[in-house]
Amino acid sequence: MPTTAYAHDSTAAWRRANRERALPGRTVILKIKRCDGPGKPARWESFKVPVEPGMNVIAALKHIAANPVTADATHTTPVVYDANCLEEVCGACTMVINGHARQSCSCLLDEYAPREGDTITLEPMSKFPVVRDLWVDRSRLFHALTRVKAWVPIDGTYDLGAGPKEDPASQQDRYGMSECMSCGCCLEACPQYTHEDDESKWDTSFVGAHAISQARLFNEHPTGKELKPDRLDELMTPGGVTDCGNAQNCVKACPKGIPLTESIAAIGRQVTLRAFARFFQGK
Amino acid sequence: MRDNAGLLHRHHLLLRRLHSLTGILPIGVFLIFHLTTNSSVLWGAINTRADAEGLARGVATFQHEVAWINNMPGLLLIEITLWVSIGFHSVLGVVYALSGKPNVRLYAYRDNWRYTMQRWTGYIGILFIFYHVATLRWGWSFLVPGGAQWSHHFAASTLADALRGSTTSITPAGVGVSLLYFVGVTSLVFHFANGLWTAAITWGLTVSEQAQKRWGAVCTALGAGLMLAGWSSVIGFLITDRDQARGIEERMLIEHYGEDRADQIITEHGHADADTDHNEQAMTETQD
Ligand code: SF4
Ligand code: SF4
Ligand code: FES
Repeated sequence: MPTTAYAHDSTAAWRRANRERALPGRTVILKIKRCDGPGKPARWESFKVPVEPGMNVIAALKHIAANPVTADATHTTPVVYDANCLEEVCGACTMVINGHARQSCSCLLDEYAPREGDTITLEPMSKFPVVRDLWVDRSRLFHALTRVKAWVPIDGTYDLGAGPKEDPASQQDRYGMSECMSCGCCLEACPQYTHEDDESKWDTSFVGAHAISQARLFNEHPTGKELKPDRLDELMTPGGVTDCGNAQNCVKACPKGIPLTESIAAIGRQVTLRAFARFFQGK
Repeated sequence: MRDNAGLLHRHHLLLRRLHSLTGILPIGVFLIFHLTTNSSVLWGAINTRADAEGLARGVATFQHEVAWINNMPGLLLIEITLWVSIGFHSVLGVVYALSGKPNVRLYAYRDNWRYTMQRWTGYIGILFIFYHVATLRWGWSFLVPGGAQWSHHFAASTLADALRGSTTSITPAGVGVSLLYFVGVTSLVFHFANGLWTAAITWGLTVSEQAQKRWGAVCTALGAGLMLAGWSSVIGFLITDRDQARGIEERMLIEHYGEDRADQIITEHGHADADTDHNEQAMTETQD
């Protein structure tokens, strides 16, 4: 079944207006794309959910789990989904809601279905393999973080002592980037990030905006920059920063407002400089 | 196949950056010169030093520039550099474009449209450039309605013939060719302006959002100027008085080469069904 375009959902004003006019005590429909397991066919099921004040999509899914009966009164299985923090910091509950990827725990029914009988469409993210129903396997996203060594190297056989000091301005810059929760919204929205089930290709397929931004975060860390050459060398290979096509969807999709396109350009600059250095100085 | 993949892998960054570079140098820079030269058929009308009157000054200005280009040393080398660059940029461009899956339907942002248009204008541009070079440079006149052969000695008149599909009037097929030129030029100018904008991100020149916005304004202005030049070229050749143009070109030819050599050139480059007075005169003179 084709998905409809829901351009209006991208505007915060539309959601705010809905919150104002939401009818108390209404019933809304959750239309959910379901799948029994990897490789199994997908199907759509709709559920009626009586809305409680302040209800979010996860609460609605809990209601369905307790009453697994579709809108046309067929008994079915509870809808499977992933969630953890319930406060939009872990990224686990990310799914495609009305066509756009976002966290379901912070998604209020009032904002998306303010009137009696309004429908909200839920789908699993399309760029990752579905485990079941709305639950996807984001392993490739984490694999990309290992590709760019998104960490600070402090392991050793002896006490390394205190690290170098970081100035407040750089701390400010990096703080925004550090808020990434590996949710995958930026990847779901990116036209250059395409579904890849074959794990052996993860080393050459596009790493995605989140990994590029994390590489920048750690390249600019006083101790993390020790691994900067490794990170940049990796980002020069197939699937690295050059595979970005500058559609700039990622930055609009990121729920944390991370300046992803600035990170992409910053890494582009670091890669340019490193390539010149390597060309003129040898390895 | 595996070797190719290996080669692409080993030199991934180099190829990507060469792809970016060739789009600007030489291709983009050439586009700027090409469109300013061609649009001189229109803006040349204000060139009071041209040896003609009114709009026809454009024809003289354009012919003068074409002659100048054709006397450039190493012209063939420049041409080969361009062909190789365009071929390289096209082949890699298609490979890169096919690696993505446009999703403007779901994410209808302006930037996402730019991304998608960059790919489509690339495809259109490749087809258009091929037709353009094949017909006007390599002389594949069987692809030109009316069969006009472009000649650098009769730059404006033969181009007008090729665009109009006939030496006398604008035929329906000629409207098709003109539209193709209009779409082709528009696509390529967009592709260049947008490519120039993204290249600054790719190379890391513009990092902050404000810098990207500022550079975006520069690229938009450049794109608008080139768009104007491109459109006025197409319009210019469509409204040129073809027979008058032919007369001016023959006169310039005689001034430059002298009567005898000019007559020879006119016979060699003369259009099969060219039927202007000047031309017939010239033909008879040669036969004499
Ligand atoms: S800017 Fe690059 S990473 Fe971000 S959505 Fe576009 S192609 Fe993907
Ligand atoms: S960069 Fe933003 S959208 Fe991407 S994974 Fe991190 S938090 Fe999610
Ligand atoms: S459950 Fe953690 S972000 Fe929604």
